[in-house]
Amino acid sequence: MRLIFRAAGVLLAAGALALSLGPSRAAVPGTPDSSDSAAAPERCLAMERHGHHPESRACYEALLREANLYLRAEGYWGLGQYSNANEEFRAAVAQSPNNSQYRVRWGRLLHERFNDQEAQDLFKEALAKDPNNAQAYIGLALVSADGFDNGALEWARKALTINPQLAQAHELLATLALEDSEPEQAATEADAALKISADALDAMAVHASIELLADRAPDTWFARIAAINPSYGEGYALAAHQLIIKGRYTEGVAYYRKAIGADPRLWQARAELGVNLMRLGQDVEARQQLQKCYENGYRNAATVNSLRLLDSYKNFVLSKDETTVLKLHKKEADLLRPYFLPELKRSIAVYEQKYQMKLSGPVQVEVYPDHEDFAVRTLGMPGLGALGVTFGNVVAMDSPSGRKPGDFHWASTLRHEMSHVFILAATHHRVPRWFTEGLAVHEETQASPEWGDPLTPDIVAALREKKLLPVADLDRGFVRPQYPAQVFVSYFQAGQVCDYIQARWGAAKLLDMVHSYAHVVSTRDVIRQQLGVRAEEFDQQFQAWLYDRLRGTLASFDEWHQRLAGMVKVSRDKQYDKVIEDGDAVIRLYPSYVYDTNAYELLAEAYLAKDEKSAAAKVLQAYVEAGGRRPAVLENLAQIQEGLGDRQAAAATLERINYIDPAFDLEQHRRLGALWLAQKNYDGAVREYAAVLAFHPVDAAGAQFDLARAYFAAGQRDKAEDAVLASLEAAPNYRPAQKLLLQIKTPAEAGQANQP
Amino acid sequence: MRRFRHIRAPLCSALLLTAAAAVHADTYFVTIAGLGGEPDYEQRFAKLATDLDRVFNSAGATGHVFTLSGKDATRARLLATLDTIAKQAKPEDDFVLTLIGHGTYDGVQYKFNVVGPDISAASLAEACAHITAKRQLIVNTTSASGGSVAELARKGRAVIAATKSGTEKNATVFARYWVDALQDSGADVDKNEAISALEAFKYATAKTAAFYDSQKRLATEHAVFVDTRRGGPVRVASTDTGAGRLLASVTLVRFGGGVAKPSAVAGNPAKRSLLTKKEQLEQRIDTLKYQRAALSPQEYKRQLTESLVALAKVQEELDK
Repeated sequence: MRLIFRAAGVLLAAGALALSLGPSRAAVPGTPDSSDSAAAPERCLAMERHGHHPESRACYEALLREANLYLRAEGYWGLGQYSNANEEFRAAVAQSPNNSQYRVRWGRLLHERFNDQEAQDLFKEALAKDPNNAQAYIGLALVSADGFDNGALEWARKALTINPQLAQAHELLATLALEDSEPEQAATEADAALKISADALDAMAVHASIELLADRAPDTWFARIAAINPSYGEGYALAAHQLIIKGRYTEGVAYYRKAIGADPRLWQARAELGVNLMRLGQDVEARQQLQKCYENGYRNAATVNSLRLLDSYKNFVLSKDETTVLKLHKKEADLLRPYFLPELKRSIAVYEQKYQMKLSGPVQVEVYPDHEDFAVRTLGMPGLGALGVTFGNVVAMDSPSGRKPGDFHWASTLRHEMSHVFILAATHHRVPRWFTEGLAVHEETQASPEWGDPLTPDIVAALREKKLLPVADLDRGFVRPQYPAQVFVSYFQAGQVCDYIQARWGAAKLLDMVHSYAHVVSTRDVIRQQLGVRAEEFDQQFQAWLYDRLRGTLASFDEWHQRLAGMVKVSRDKQYDKVIEDGDAVIRLYPSYVYDTNAYELLAEAYLAKDEKSAAAKVLQAYVEAGGRRPAVLENLAQIQEGLGDRQAAAATLERINYIDPAFDLEQHRRLGALWLAQKNYDGAVREYAAVLAFHPVDAAGAQFDLARAYFAAGQRDKAEDAVLASLEAAPNYRPAQKLLLQIKTPAEAGQANQP
Repeated sequence: MRRFRHIRAPLCSALLLTAAAAVHADTYFVTIAGLGGEPDYEQRFAKLATDLDRVFNSAGATGHVFTLSGKDATRARLLATLDTIAKQAKPEDDFVLTLIGHGTYDGVQYKFNVVGPDISAASLAEACAHITAKRQLIVNTTSASGGSVAELARKGRAVIAATKSGTEKNATVFARYWVDALQDSGADVDKNEAISALEAFKYATAKTAAFYDSQKRLATEHAVFVDTRRGGPVRVASTDTGAGRLLASVTLVRFGGGVAKPSAVAGNPAKRSLLTKKEQLEQRIDTLKYQRAALSPQEYKRQLTESLVALAKVQEELDK
């Protein structure tokens, strides 16, 4: 949540009070009886804004002695007695239901104390009473801004049309522009605020942030702030926020430290410090900072949930070596580690070679089976992927077990996030959002054409409606989406841009662009310097290339939709001949559609109903190669392939499931183990039978025996012996295991029994 | 010096001894699929009963199978069936009653829903009390079945309920996995080519839990059993309390032909001697497992390996 000094609005309130009192200066119970008292909250806030804390405190305490409920509310608020303030506001609104400004101020209190829903309701109620209440629009803008939704800009501009002298509105617009990577616009708005109010401290902080983000010294601006209020930590916190939004976590943490250095009771900044220390893997200090916030009554969602998450880390197991730290939940560590660790290592090897660099320290990958825990890691960050997030050398991602099977491809996600690790390091976190996301998406399909996310209908619709952003503005699609699917469309577009650059200029050009982004430089400049075209020309050429590639799908989208619906109907009616008749043509209209109710599965079902197993296998193979990843479908395909005698294909199909969801089904691992054993892939067999054991199967003896056989076939007699002993410990009379034990212990006597 | 716990007869030895006794005993299986209320449930319950009928009939001459479903699933027919068994069964026989369907519990009384008037747990308990089979098992797979345990449990009778109390009122999936257990050799955890009630219980509870996990749903049923006079229903076997011992001794299904038939052994002194040695080794292994905590891992492994190798060699000789 952004820190916006709550002072703005009180002056207007005082003014409004004065106006409402204008016609009569007679004392009215419950209302201010002098213009001095009406201006009192503003005086208190002015003292606070200028760092005169003992004076402001005395001022607030004086407000508590007022008969006016609203003034008492402001007094309690200023003293940090939020519950009392809330009650006084409630009473003030009940007493003066038509006073819109009371609602606005109450809403600002609730917004400050983490209750955005009711805050928003109050702002809207205020507007219902007074449609020209500019402060109510500011309130709505603040709530929207915290959610990174587009309404923030709209509300702030609306406030300015009502009252062009609202410095706070300009300050907010400045902040939002900087979040959107528009430093010129941000500077313009900040200057507008300063023109209205010479001590618009947040405007100065925006200027300081602009300098910081451009790798220039911000000192002049912070000095100006300090000259007005040396304890204005909010200024540093605003800069920290901007740095964090741009992924510059280490620098952001430094500025949050400055914020609490200036004002140790700036709990919001301290909470953000704690959250961001967690992002850097510094959990010990993170806990200290968050605990301090909690103990001092600052208990917003980020603080509470982060502390809970830290508590839950006792349930995680760390696997460490020189270059990696893999953090898995203990309930699934044994199952996932054999898959995650090699893939993590493979990613590192690929990127070290591709980007010709090594990371300065180990990379930490955290895998969360509970999506809510993963979501805590992304709190307050706009437009992040729903599956994984990277904070420098720390990666957090969902576990496949926490999602509906086939919902995502964990290996592809890991490859994506590891790209961020390298690119952030290579560019010292200067890389713009669109380019690091684009490269990460591009890398998924470089690993395998089946990885990455196949084209979705939402993206097709956006393409048909020409909703792609100019590449120079593509960051905005991630931070402040203008329509619900824009974040996903932006991921897609960014990935395609990188694919296009590689196709046209070669892979080395992407590396050149990475090097360019190691300095603060605009995308326009990088495109011109590296690709030799202007950004506008690039957009035209890229879009021509993209639309040409997808011409068929885009043109036939409506037809596809209709014909697929037809296929569903005839399939439901079991008219399998009709399904078969139309199936291939429907697939050709939109080959990337592998999502719910896709033509591949319908066609395969029809073939199977007619016992045409080869045809069914061919269709499902095409589904897999198009990026289809429902584990149940892959299992079915493997079964068909094995039935047709193609055990190699069956094993390859089942192996794919391991990269999608190894927690899907114990039987998949058992079958794959048997296939690998038969094909003499003993390491694979060992891994798969060990995975069976990780499920804690009811038939533990059988699972241990299978593992023993695999070890024995692999020549690992000691491990084979341990496994077969474990099997017999559970079932001493298990004949096959007994024979294997004798074979291991007395090979000369046991003969040919129990050959794998 | 460490003090060893009092070593109780381990579960698998109890199985061995009572299995030997059961060779000459019959088992009476009664299965009733109660009122479904909706076509989907009717169909499901009937199919489960049919599957159990087939499984129990594979027990051969020593199995007596009575299956009631559809319009035959009435209170009167069930009580008449139990009365018939009371007249036929001998003390050395086993008796297994399986209830499939819906149950209700009003806080005081459990009732199993059948065609016509329902039958209470108390009535069932009274009817089963007349059956002299010393070893009895009632498997109540219905909703609210936990509410029937107190009435049904008694010495020599194990009760399995799909729910931990009468307040778990949703339809259960336990029945499906119970029936699956008796058809899946994977449920034969100790690999003795037979599935005991304890093995079936463990299989069904694991699969039930996995079902809710896979659906990302909160489990609305938690199966329990009681087979001792000590304490109430439990969810896991315990060597401390002996919970599970009776369940482990009730064999529901046999498959495979690996067990040496008694007549093949009886007339062969060498084989008899081997069988005695086998039993001794099994006993030693059980005892060793109890003593595990008191031994170093290396010593435990050494002794276990030695005993298991010896057992394997004895079995190899027996198989010749």
